[in-house]
Amino acid sequence: MQKTLPKKELLNFIKILMEKYEVIAPVKKDKVLSKFEIIKDPREIYLNEITTVPVKEFFIPEDETLVEFKDGNIIENKGEIKPRIIFGLRKCDINAIEVLDKVMPCSIYINKRKNTILIGIFCEKPDKYCFCESMELNDSGYDLFFYAKDKDYYITIGSKKGEAIVKYLNNAKKEIKLKYKNKKILYDKNIEHYYKNKIWDSDAEKCLSCSACTVYCPSCNCFDIKDTLNMNLKDGIRTRHEISCQLKSFSRVAGGKSFRDSRLSRFKHFVYHKIVYYKHRKGRYMCVGCGRCLRACPTKIDWVKTINILTGFKKKRK
Amino acid sequence: MYKPIAYEITETINFTEEVKLFRIKSKINPMPGQFIEVSIPGIGECPLASCAYNTDYIDLLTRNAGNVTSAVFKLQKGEKIFFRGPYGKGFPIKELKGKDLILIAGGTGIAPVASLIEYIEKNRKDFGRMYIFFGFRNENYILLKDKIEKWKNKFDFTLTLDKKLVPESNLVCETGFIQDIIDKKKIDFKNSSALICGPEIMMKCVSEKLMSLGLKKNRIYWSMERRMECGFGSCGRCQIQDLYVCKDGPVFRYDIIKPKIDNEESANEVKT
Repeated sequence: MQKTLPKKELLNFIKILMEKYEVIAPVKKDKVLSKFEIIKDPREIYLNEITTVPVKEFFIPEDETLVEFKDGNIIENKGEIKPRIIFGLRKCDINAIEVLDKVMPCSIYINKRKNTILIGIFCEKPDKYCFCESMELNDSGYDLFFYAKDKDYYITIGSKKGEAIVKYLNNAKKEIKLKYKNKKILYDKNIEHYYKNKIWDSDAEKCLSCSACTVYCPSCNCFDIKDTLNMNLKDGIRTRHEISCQLKSFSRVAGGKSFRDSRLSRFKHFVYHKIVYYKHRKGRYMCVGCGRCLRACPTKIDWVKTINILTGFKKKRK
Repeated sequence: MYKPIAYEITETINFTEEVKLFRIKSKINPMPGQFIEVSIPGIGECPLASCAYNTDYIDLLTRNAGNVTSAVFKLQKGEKIFFRGPYGKGFPIKELKGKDLILIAGGTGIAPVASLIEYIEKNRKDFGRMYIFFGFRNENYILLKDKIEKWKNKFDFTLTLDKKLVPESNLVCETGFIQDIIDKKKIDFKNSSALICGPEIMMKCVSEKLMSLGLKKNRIYWSMERRMECGFGSCGRCQIQDLYVCKDGPVFRYDIIKPKIDNEESANEVKT
């Protein structure tokens, strides 16, 4: 059973949530940048576009302490946080969190997930980079999901936690479910046997190994573990840092050997991890089709188009 | 999951300028081929395999090669070292039972193989005939000398040096790469399994030779080296295509891992 919330009541609804929870929602920062932030006022919320920055930083921040060394003791970070709600997640964002769930088995991540309620909202205007429709996304993972229709939000309940939040709202008279319509389509994802195809070379030639694709990807989780020593040379912290497979140092071992030495091999590793490798292991695509890598690429590499050419769906490149 | 535990170093043995052995009191006893994340607080972590198999201690054969190992190198007897683990699958003991085994190792790659030999010593009746080949650069690079002397008497053991510096010395050994001397032995290659650890180029050459002698490619196992940061398939650093060396390996069957390594290497040939 769905619940309904009049659109004009949304700010009030958020205000009530803010009394009990830390509320995180998309905020427009400037012309080009929008991101998830802890809000102080519900009016900050901006739902008109997909956020430039993905939501992953609230689960796997750029830097995060794993253990602390203090006075000869080792203190483990348990990932304890205040109960919080992330509002305004799109279907791609929620699916990306589901992807992360399968590769982040540590208690820090798990505790953060347990203490976070996810509220999704149906994305009305996928832009020219969005191809989520092609990525076989799950309709799950959220605690609540909002569909906007006419003057109301129709709210699908995904969990008991979610249900408790909307208990006081009216039941909907009819169920609403909307579907996406993407302009961009990734037609055939069966690319395993095209690994050695020459078509990748031209994309790799354009690639600057800047790693923007992996930074903006909501499902990229790879990290580095690094120690930092305090001035007393005894205490310190062991942290994990976001790192990118597009950097040469990513696979470098003691002695200096880097196993993915060329940009081509690193670029293909990104695409194949998203489309092939993760699927082999976990039974779903790692890519959620949000298009953030395409939006962020400074040289406008469009690997979705490349795959379509490769698999014969678009004969010519613009 | 990331919390390391402190252990005490009970002994250190210098083998070469670059390689030292650290004996650490610990009951965790990793299976042969598994690895542990050794660390020094404030410096960092590095994945190493024990070259012993028993419940009293772990032997870390450490080459002074990176940030962490160079810090480990400075540690003395009685000092503390930290680690977490063990991680990985190690050698497929179940699949090897009852088979004739060819154990091949080069340089510091002898560590996991040495642990496997000790396992086999303790469970000798579970395995068939055993042939061991250890290769080193020259006399100055020989590691685990005591154990090698012991194994020479116990097993069909071949020591080979790439180049013998003192040809007239009374050290019993072959000269040349393992792939060049392995066919001197009368081994029933068709019915044996081979377990190899060493530099990738050496594992490649030896495997090709073994296959030319009749060994099946699904009976060759490689113990691989990659950058393993987390140890449980989370950080993505040790990925070889869809396999995680830390979780699915570090021991892989040749016919499974080789095409994936070749794929990645084919992309490295294009210099972009």
